[in-house]
Amino acid sequence: MLEIKDLKASIGGTEILRGLSLSANAGEVHAIMGPNGSGKSTLAQVIAGHEDYEVTAGSVTFKGENLLELAPEERAREGIFLGFQYPVEIAGVNNAYLLKAAVNAKRKHQGLGEIDAFEFLKLAKEKMALLGMDQKFLHRGVNEGFSGGEKKRNEILQMAMLEPCLAILDETDSGLDIDALRAVAEGVNSLRSPDRAIILVTHYQRLLDYIEPDHVHVLSDGRIARSGDKSLALALEEKGYDWIREAANE
Amino acid sequence: MSPSSLSMDVLRDVVEQLPDDALSASRLAALEHLNKYGLPTTRDEDWKYTDLTQIIDVSNRWLNSKRESSSSAKTQALIDEIRNSIEADWLVVTDGQLDAQSIDEFARSSEPGVRISLLSDSAQGISFDAPLSDLNAALLQDGLRIHVAKDVALARPVGILFVDNADASPGMTQTRIEIELAVGSDATFIEYHASIGADDHYSNAVGNLLVGDNAHANYVRIQDRGLSHKHTNRMSIRCGRDSKLNHCAFDIGGGFVRNDIVIDIAEPGSCIVFDGLYLVGNGQHIDNHTRADHRVGPAESHQEYRGILAGQARAVWNGKAIVHKGADGTDAEQSNHNLLLSEKCEVDAKPELEIYADDVKCSHGTTVGQLDETALFYLRTRGISRHAAKQMLTSAFAQTIVGKSPIHAEGDRVGARVAQRLDQMMQGVNT
Repeated sequence: MLEIKDLKASIGGTEILRGLSLSANAGEVHAIMGPNGSGKSTLAQVIAGHEDYEVTAGSVTFKGENLLELAPEERAREGIFLGFQYPVEIAGVNNAYLLKAAVNAKRKHQGLGEIDAFEFLKLAKEKMALLGMDQKFLHRGVNEGFSGGEKKRNEILQMAMLEPCLAILDETDSGLDIDALRAVAEGVNSLRSPDRAIILVTHYQRLLDYIEPDHVHVLSDGRIARSGDKSLALALEEKGYDWIREAANE
Repeated sequence: MSPSSLSMDVLRDVVEQLPDDALSASRLAALEHLNKYGLPTTRDEDWKYTDLTQIIDVSNRWLNSKRESSSSAKTQALIDEIRNSIEADWLVVTDGQLDAQSIDEFARSSEPGVRISLLSDSAQGISFDAPLSDLNAALLQDGLRIHVAKDVALARPVGILFVDNADASPGMTQTRIEIELAVGSDATFIEYHASIGADDHYSNAVGNLLVGDNAHANYVRIQDRGLSHKHTNRMSIRCGRDSKLNHCAFDIGGGFVRNDIVIDIAEPGSCIVFDGLYLVGNGQHIDNHTRADHRVGPAESHQEYRGILAGQARAVWNGKAIVHKGADGTDAEQSNHNLLLSEKCEVDAKPELEIYADDVKCSHGTTVGQLDETALFYLRTRGISRHAAKQMLTSAFAQTIVGKSPIHAEGDRVGARVAQRLDQMMQGVNT
C-alpha cells in the first residue's frame, strides 16, 4: 500500500530524512520508534504533504501512485490520515462541522452524495461512545480548550469517521493517562482491518502493550537503523536507543 | 479656497433655506461652530489616518448641485427586504427624510411604553460639540427621538433603517437619533444603514443613547452600504447607575467609513460590553474610534473589535479608555484582532489606556496576523481544500463577533451578509 524508497527530505536547508525506505501493506500495523530528532515526525508530515518539507530524493508511492505529486487534501481524500502529535485548536469551527465537511470531502471524491444529517450524527455518536467521549464535544470548537487526552481522542474520532486506508498516528500516546491510553488504543484496534495499514509513531514501548504491531522499525539519523517484530520494541525498552546507534555505527 | 475645505458660503445659503422650525437656532449655532473650528485634518491626532478630503469633495459637489433626492422602486425593495429579514418594529429614514408612513405604522403597532417624536417637535435643541456633528446639526432637516418609559421591557427590537439612494448625482444626507431608556427599562435597538446605487454619496449619522439607571439596552449597528459610499457615524452614550449595555457594531460595506463611539460612565455599577466586526475589502477604508470615560467606579467596560482585511484595504482601530481620578473599582478591557488576507492591506491598531485611579483592573491586547498555516494544514489533512479551509478559518474569526450580537440567530441576515461579503473579499485574494 505504501512504498517509500530512499527518501530524503529537508526543512529550511537541514536534511532530516537521509535515505529512508519502508513498505507497509494492507492489514499491517507498523511501529516506528526512535530517539528525539531521529525524523519520526518528519516522516509523518512528509507523508501527509506538509509543504515546509522539501523532498530532495527518493519516492513515495501510495496504492501504486506517486504520492508526492498530491496536495495534502488530495492525499486525505485518497485515504491517508495523519493523527497529529499536537492537534491544532481551531476556535470558532465547530467539531461536528469539521467532521461532516471532512467526511463529505472524501465522499465527493469517491463520487458519493453528502452524508445524511441523521446518519452522520448517529455514526458520530457511536464512535464517540466507543472512545468514551462526551457528545458535547461535537458542538465545541475543534480541540478548543480540550485537555491533552481529549485532543487525542478527538483525533481518533476523526480517523474513525474517515475510515482511512492508511493511518499514521504521530505520538498519539504522548501525554495520555492510562484511561485515555486504553480508550485510544481500543479505538485504533477497532480500526485494524485487512484493508488498512496503520503506522504508529511512538517514543515508548508502552503503547505497543495495547496495540500489538506486526513490524517495529527503529529510526536513527533519518534512516531505518533496524527492523524487527514486536520483540525489538522490548529490547529497545531494555537497552535504550544508544544500543541501536552503536550498532548502526559499527 | 483650497479644494480641501467646505464651501462655507454655499453651505450657509443652504442652511438658511431650510424651514424655520424649532431646530433653526441650533442649525445656525452649529454653522458658526463649524465655521470657527472647521473640519479635522490629518494633523489632528484623532484623524491622523483618516483624511476627510473625499468627504469634503462630495459635500461641495452636493452643495453646488441641485440637491435633489430621488427615491426609486429599488429603494423600496431594499427597505422591504431588510424589514422582512429582521424581526423588529421599524422606523425608516430614506435619503435623510423621515418616512412618515413608517412613523405612523410604528405608533400603531409598537408596544406600549415606547414613544416616538421628531426632534423638531421640541425646543430643546441638538448638540454639535464634535467634528462632523456640527455639520450634521447645521444641515439636519429633522431627526427621531425614541423614548422607552420607566420599567418597560420591550419584547421586540426597535429598528431604525437608514437607506440612501445614490443612483445619480452626488448625494449627502444628515441623520440623527436620540434614544432614551428610562429608569429600569429594557430594550433592543437595531440601527441599520443600507444604500443602493454606485454614485458618490456621503451620509453623516449622529446618535445619542442614554441608558437610564438600572436600565438594560442592547444595541446593534449594522453598516452595510455600497462600496462607493462615504459614511461617518458618531454615537455618544451615557450610562446610568447599575445600567447594562451590550453594543455590537458591524461594518460590512462602505467605501470610506469613520465610526466614533464615545461612552460616558458617570454613575457607578454599569457594565458595558461593546464589540465590533469590520470587513474591509480592496479599496475600502474603515476607521473605528472608540472612547470610554470611566469617571466613577465600580464600573466595567469590555471591548472586542475584530477586522478582516483583503486586497488593498485600510483599517484603523483606535480604542481609548480613560480611567479618571477617583474611578476606583474600574474594570476596563479592550482587545482588537486583525486578520490580514493579503500583503497589500494595512491596519493601524492603537489601544490607549490612561489611568489616573489607583484600584483598577485594565488590560488591552492587539494582534495583527495572517491565517494560521498550521491550522490550514490540519484542515487540509482532513480532506478540506485550501480555499475551503481558508474560508472556514476566516468565517470562524468573524463568527466570534457575529455570535456575540444580541440579535444573533442561526442563519440571520447579519450572519448571512457577513458570509456573503467574506466570500466576495476572498474571491479577490485566492491564490
